[in-house]
Amino acid sequence: MKVRFWGVRGSIPVPGQATSRYGGNTSCVEVRPRGDAPIIIDAGTGLRRLGKSLMEEAFGDGRGHASVLISHTHWDHVQGLPFFSPLYREGNRVDIFARQRDQHLASVFSQQHNLPYFPVPMSAMKADVHFHELLEGARFDIGRAKIACTRLNHPWIAIAYRVDVDGAAVVYCADTAPFTDILFGREFMVTPPALDQPLPADVVAELDRMRASVIALARGADLLIYDTHFTLEEYRLRPHWGHSHPDDAIAIARDAGVARLCLFHHAPMRSDDDNDRILARYREVVRAQGDRFELLSAYEGLELVLGDA
Amino acid sequence: MKIRFWGVRGSIPAPGPDTIRYGGNTSCVSVHTRDGRLVIVDMGTGLMHLGNALMAGAFGKGAGRATILLSHSHWDHIQGLGFFTPVFVGGNQFTVFGPGGSPEVLEEILEGQMDPNFSPLQSLKNFSASFDVRAIQPGEPFEAEGLRITAREHPHGTTTAFAFRIEEAGRVFVYASDVGQPTADAAPSPEAIAFYRGADVLLHDTTYRPEDQATRRNRGFSSYEDAAAAAVAAEAKRLVMFHYDQDYTDDDVDALCASCRAALDRRGGRSIELVPAREGEELEI
Repeated sequence: MKVRFWGVRGSIPVPGQATSRYGGNTSCVEVRPRGDAPIIIDAGTGLRRLGKSLMEEAFGDGRGHASVLISHTHWDHVQGLPFFSPLYREGNRVDIFARQRDQHLASVFSQQHNLPYFPVPMSAMKADVHFHELLEGARFDIGRAKIACTRLNHPWIAIAYRVDVDGAAVVYCADTAPFTDILFGREFMVTPPALDQPLPADVVAELDRMRASVIALARGADLLIYDTHFTLEEYRLRPHWGHSHPDDAIAIARDAGVARLCLFHHAPMRSDDDNDRILARYREVVRAQGDRFELLSAYEGLELVLGDA
Repeated sequence: MKIRFWGVRGSIPAPGPDTIRYGGNTSCVSVHTRDGRLVIVDMGTGLMHLGNALMAGAFGKGAGRATILLSHSHWDHIQGLGFFTPVFVGGNQFTVFGPGGSPEVLEEILEGQMDPNFSPLQSLKNFSASFDVRAIQPGEPFEAEGLRITAREHPHGTTTAFAFRIEEAGRVFVYASDVGQPTADAAPSPEAIAFYRGADVLLHDTTYRPEDQATRRNRGFSSYEDAAAAAVAAEAKRLVMFHYDQDYTDDDVDALCASCRAALDRRGGRSIELVPAREGEELEI
């Protein structure tokens, strides 16, 4: 399979000189099983350029089929959908998978496409669009690919995905906080809680269970893409935002025995030079700790070939 | 008045190496009055960067106030709001004037962006600053930050967008983004031209080349020909090009600017100064 990064940024797109090397588009990763239709993970603004590229293939003739796995519906993970050209071509099929919400997914997603926010309603899109609601721990197939998912620790709840195909596995863990300080659900936190206070036993047990499930999902993966929005220092100031940092990602990668860890979901104000420094610093950490995985930092256009190409 | 461009792009932010010179952020313009008061026009992603800059001054201490004018509520004109740091500082005061017809409807529109399915903020109520929402009554001038402001509703595809005429001591800045005539043979009304009349700066939608506009007429945007015609008819002193299509590269915008210059000259607007809006640039009136 091939894995290509189209958007690597968190929260909000950030155009400009300071982000031109890593890229300013929000989250979107393309997983392409050999000879098969694309499996797209998340639909941030990176999806727009992926869509234009797909229109050069079967999608341009209305014969394309894409599956889109959504980690959660925060803007930076869905805001590219209205600009995904294959949706506007009759004959294309797009399957959208996301965690079950209180409302039907079609109703959730259509809000983004409706007036007064956007001029073209989802109902006017010519492609054949299907929504698939996922429950906790769902397992299913897309073509030859085996998909598994598990819950992450993020406000309003996100899910991680594992895609197994062509003798390789890629795991996408965004967005998530570490499983140590806060158990995220639906409540809004105005101010961060104190990080040195002991947590109730049931919260600790739930966080431990979630972490163990993420480790199990990522076990032996060829590539683990992980939310490292923050540095450790930044995380300590904003633990209630629901994002992680490289130290936590490295611990997960080590426990899961992955071959490669890719830092992902860079904070919007993180410059290219900042990202270079973070990568260099943590490559040193990984080397000093004797970890055997390769450490990467995601940038737009990064393409990895895994398993049987 | 000092006018500064924080986002000049249309529809969706367009990061990438080929949008660095003009910028890829969506619509946001700041207007500082002679005595330093602030009016913000539109809340695209450029608003985040304006907010970060404002935090160095009174807004960082919770002592800032500004008026925000909202042309319409398409994503590219509101998507910066949740990332505008000054709204998270208690003591700051914002008044938003926008569409919807009533404060309740406009608040519901802005609240929709913060829906917990989509935004971790979950609600406008989680802003720490005061955030007063008011509906614009088109044609009725009002005062804000010492400026006289008039709004006019213009056709914009399936909806309408407000243009704003902002006046300070006889100096006039007109903001007319997201305007497009429904058919190729339609022209701006005499009332629209009168609204632009004599502007020291006319910022006008120049989303498209005429050939791209022809295939996307229903989207409700202008070409540089429309902008040049409006500037000449209204005898504007300066024309600012704005709201570039997300697919246009910096080189495309250079070409758009050269074509717009030629259109102005051909239409009798040789004396009109042409300024292509660029992120970070400032104009003084």
